[in-house]
Amino acid sequence: MNNVRTDHCFLADIDFADRTFPFSYGALPARLEKSIATAGLLQPPLLVAGKNGFRIVCGWRRLEVLRKLADESGEDEILVNLAKNISLQELFRRALWENLAIREFNLVETADIYCAALKIFTLDEVEKKIMPALKIPLRPRFRGRCQAISGFSQELRDLLAAGSVDAETVDLIKEWSADERSALIDLVTESGLRRNKLREVVGRLDDLARRDQISPFELLADVRQAALDEAGNIDVELLRRQLKARLYPQLTAAHLEFVARQEKFPWLKPFRLDPPPDFEGGDYRLNFTFTDSKEWEEICAQLNAVALEDIDELCRRS
Amino acid sequence: MNSAAVVSLPPAKYSRSLFRPTTVLVEDEASDYPLVESIVGRLPNAEVVVVKRPTSADLVRLSQEFSPLTTLFLARHRGRFLKACPGTAETYRCCLYQILHLGLGCNIGCSYCVLQGYLNNPFITQFVNLDDAFAELDRELARPGTFYRIGTGEFTDSLFMDPLTGLATLLLDYFGRCQNAVLELKTKSVAISALLDYPGEIGETIVSWSLNAPRICAKEEGHAAAIEERLTAAALCRQRGYRIGLHFDPLLDFPGWEDEYRQTVASIFAHLKGDDIIWISIGAFRFMPQVKDVLKENHPQTNITAGEFIRGLDGKQRYFSTIRRRLYRFLVTEIRRYAPNVFIYFCMEDQYLWQDTFGRAPADNQELGHWLDKCCYRYMRLKGTEAEGAK
Repeated sequence: MNNVRTDHCFLADIDFADRTFPFSYGALPARLEKSIATAGLLQPPLLVAGKNGFRIVCGWRRLEVLRKLADESGEDEILVNLAKNISLQELFRRALWENLAIREFNLVETADIYCAALKIFTLDEVEKKIMPALKIPLRPRFRGRCQAISGFSQELRDLLAAGSVDAETVDLIKEWSADERSALIDLVTESGLRRNKLREVVGRLDDLARRDQISPFELLADVRQAALDEAGNIDVELLRRQLKARLYPQLTAAHLEFVARQEKFPWLKPFRLDPPPDFEGGDYRLNFTFTDSKEWEEICAQLNAVALEDIDELCRRS
Repeated sequence: MNSAAVVSLPPAKYSRSLFRPTTVLVEDEASDYPLVESIVGRLPNAEVVVVKRPTSADLVRLSQEFSPLTTLFLARHRGRFLKACPGTAETYRCCLYQILHLGLGCNIGCSYCVLQGYLNNPFITQFVNLDDAFAELDRELARPGTFYRIGTGEFTDSLFMDPLTGLATLLLDYFGRCQNAVLELKTKSVAISALLDYPGEIGETIVSWSLNAPRICAKEEGHAAAIEERLTAAALCRQRGYRIGLHFDPLLDFPGWEDEYRQTVASIFAHLKGDDIIWISIGAFRFMPQVKDVLKENHPQTNITAGEFIRGLDGKQRYFSTIRRRLYRFLVTEIRRYAPNVFIYFCMEDQYLWQDTFGRAPADNQELGHWLDKCCYRYMRLKGTEAEGAK
């Protein structure tokens, strides 16, 4: 790099708030902290002069670790690479590829880089160079996803960066209002809903909201209340069941009816009868256990004595 | 109004293509085919761009340069033209239909269109090497004693741009005289002028319309012709001697669906008699799970995927069986009120619902296929039996 020179600078001279090069977001990797604490800074970050101090082009995480360590050690002079007479576009490219060489970006970083690139490059350059590098498909859904993430609250962005919320969930909540998303964050925080279950819950909320033409906010308040256990905590499984019953009223009724129907046949007690998944198709499964030939013979005799009408009644579609 | 008393509508409507591209991309290896010349000749103001045979990545790139909404792609098809309908799993009954694969995509813009999730080619594509297609048909149809029901409306609409391609005429030239095959043209358009004006033998060619509830037509079927327009066109085709097929697919569950579907059934029989109709198929809405996201992306206002969908035995999302049964029973009863003997069948449905709705079920796909074959007089002649249909 001809226009880059190594120099010393003070941490206080760095503009940590500047997000022209938004290549890092989220918790600092513990391994990086340990490495710098043990061996010091091995690779100087790349900075460029800006209005309010040096802008961080590359090395935000390293600098954040150093800032943290400086609070304890008091040392705030560090070695950096300073770029001069290099265009913003070129610096952006270098930072992008240097980061890509060593790690994957999380969802927030990807979104922020895309949005920042839109301000620096032409649309054509973004579509032909930046988006393929970030593995963002050239479709409105993915552009919309990035723009939405950039506008999310910090709480939600933190959850995304930590991997607690996935991209499919973002697609569903991006049209929600800030209040609705905030209510969802509260639900996640209170209930400890993990990523996959959260996606299922949000998917069902979205389906219900569209089907019944009501706001997710209203729905959330409703199901949240119904999913409280005796101690006043949110029971995740109850919450999921509530949503399923609401979205699938007829399937739920069919299950309840099937359970009730089984009660009519005392001979079923030692067995477990499973209907086909979602009652689709005709394959019912009868489960039982036995320990020896005598038990086997007894079960067979019991089954042979079952009236065929009972079988028809049990397997009847509701 | 029955088929004998149809009022003539302005012919311009029937000779208008639903698709008027402003750009025609021509694959370099396809540029010498006569169909290219005739299509381009009908689009004097369109920009014509010759491109090398594109890869999938090239197609994405091209779609950024040329809007798929206004671009027609003319290409050479290198695979088989005649294919089994993709719905041939044994888990649900399939009628063993054959697809003549002459094009891809259409611009009608139905929100529920499953092609949104399947096609990796963003352009409406017309294959132009028709001599290869007819040569393949010659070879395939030469198999003695075999009867074929062949359609062109699976991956595209059979007629939506027929005034541009003139394909219907070429197909009638072939199938009009064909003894062991019938052609079914499926559409939501009314571009039937070539069919009405065709001077030759039309054989037992079937012209079919996809039908739905008026509200679904208005909300979910883009710029497809209105239900009344489709049925008026059907009546005109019947007058010309074509047999008429009707397809209620996808059948949707929405508030007020009974009244809406009742209205459509009443409209059918205001335009057609039961005997005019060779078959009516019914299929409840179903889609591959991954299509849901694409559908929501392309049609954010629709809520048709927000129902009681379960995972079917074929991996597709479909309504819970109780809902399907309710839809089917209602529609079949309504149709039977007007036409007790018309042949109705399910597209991709399980034998329990067949049994439940009709009191009988095809034992397998072959039997269902046989039932549909029997609706065709040509099949009867081929097999030397009386035409009895499959009522």
